Amino acid sequence: MNRLVLTVAVSCLVATHCSIVEAETDDQVAARNDVIDFAGAFQNDGFKIRDGNYYGKVSMDQSALVAVNLYNGNAYWFTASTGEKAEKLKVSVFDEAGNPVSYEPYQSGTRAAAGFSPEASGVYYVKVALEDGQPATFCLIYSYK
Amino acid sequence: MRAPTIQAHFGFDKRNFPEIGAERGKSLRPPFHPVQVRQDWTWDPQLINCGDMPLLRKWLRLSVIVLIPTVLALAEQQPASDKPLSAEDLKSAVSIDALTVPTPGEFFAAIEKGAKPNWTSEYRPPISIRSADRAQMALNLGTLIADGYIAVEAQDSQQVKNIGKDVLALAKKLSISQTVLARGASITQFAENNAWAQLNEELEATQNEVKKALEENRDIDLITLVSVGGWIRGTEVVTGLVMQNYNADSAKLLRQPALVAFLKNKLALLPDRLGKDPLVQKLVGELNDIQRMVSFAPDHVPTVDEVKELNAASAKLTKEIGVSE
Repeated sequence: MNRLVLTVAVSCLVATHCSIVEAETDDQVAARNDVIDFAGAFQNDGFKIRDGNYYGKVSMDQSALVAVNLYNGNAYWFTASTGEKAEKLKVSVFDEAGNPVSYEPYQSGTRAAAGFSPEASGVYYVKVALEDGQPATFCLIYSYK
Repeated sequence: MRAPTIQAHFGFDKRNFPEIGAERGKSLRPPFHPVQVRQDWTWDPQLINCGDMPLLRKWLRLSVIVLIPTVLALAEQQPASDKPLSAEDLKSAVSIDALTVPTPGEFFAAIEKGAKPNWTSEYRPPISIRSADRAQMALNLGTLIADGYIAVEAQDSQQVKNIGKDVLALAKKLSISQTVLARGASITQFAENNAWAQLNEELEATQNEVKKALEENRDIDLITLVSVGGWIRGTEVVTGLVMQNYNADSAKLLRQPALVAFLKNKLALLPDRLGKDPLVQKLVGELNDIQRMVSFAPDHVPTVDEVKELNAASAKLTKEIGVSE
């Protein structure tokens, strides 16, 4: 009986722990809300916001890199925000060999974006870096048309 | 905001050149009198009043018009100072289903840039899955969601509703019907109102909620199969449309080596109960061939025959996924 109770208790603890790990933190929620608000501006221009995001952490010496598969002919805006914490965030785009590509930059404190229209389909890398400020959690999303 | 700044810099505004107005009297742009200009000629350096020089004024205006877009283009398209990524950086790149795998909607948006695609030509007969194979059900769910995007692109409300019912039937078998039911009602509503833009978003949200529900049900491995199913059906459709109206830009859409590699890696990580599923094993084998077909140099344009080969391979896989036991 004791063993059963112990097993149930441990299971509950594990389940609680898992749900805590998977739950969004306040920083993530703030970053996500802000980046969606930010990307809304591109919607007016006919861009569709993709219903998916990536949370990461950036500091002055630690950037984040996300692989995306893009199609030639489409136009993309990659937008990131930290919500409140970062002073100067930057989003940049690289091709499959890691070379920088020509893109349209936007930077405004905790928010940053990069507009890009690939000439070749394939994998590209979106880099989110912090150029100034304290380490922060960011949320990256993208829009396309 | 930048253009006015540049115009102010190059423009002949009274505020920029107050002495011109002061020198010449009240008007900043007096009529042009060649004789007076000769009489006023002096060796001393003078400020130029463009009001007296219509040709120069035109030339300067044209220069400004040419310069503005050039300056803006340089400012906007060359953020430069980005150093190339190292091999180590590339290895550290994160790949996640939610951003790394494009939705069928993105694939279809790209094909629409060319000639108007005949979406209805890519419809397929309804599928009926009787087997209890969860791997097959997840794969089919992916193909059905892609079918939903096709119906939306075709702006066919009845087809959207039909596919919605099929999705719901499969979702029930995978115990995620509550999620799909909630979305299904709004999909039907949007379809009846011909709200195509909202339907596109709703389909994407449905796909994500299906994946989230699978995750909550501890069926996280099935998510990969939903993505794979959607991508295979999407590839079949896009190759079919490219074949109907072949052009270089559309054919170049088929280049996706890293995407297939990503999906294959995910399949390789499936637990034995799914990895040893005969359909999944067949899928992995055939994805090797497909990976070869979509792995070409960025400047290569697939020929009609190459597109046909990829279409045949993806159509064969879609059929195998949809076959009823």
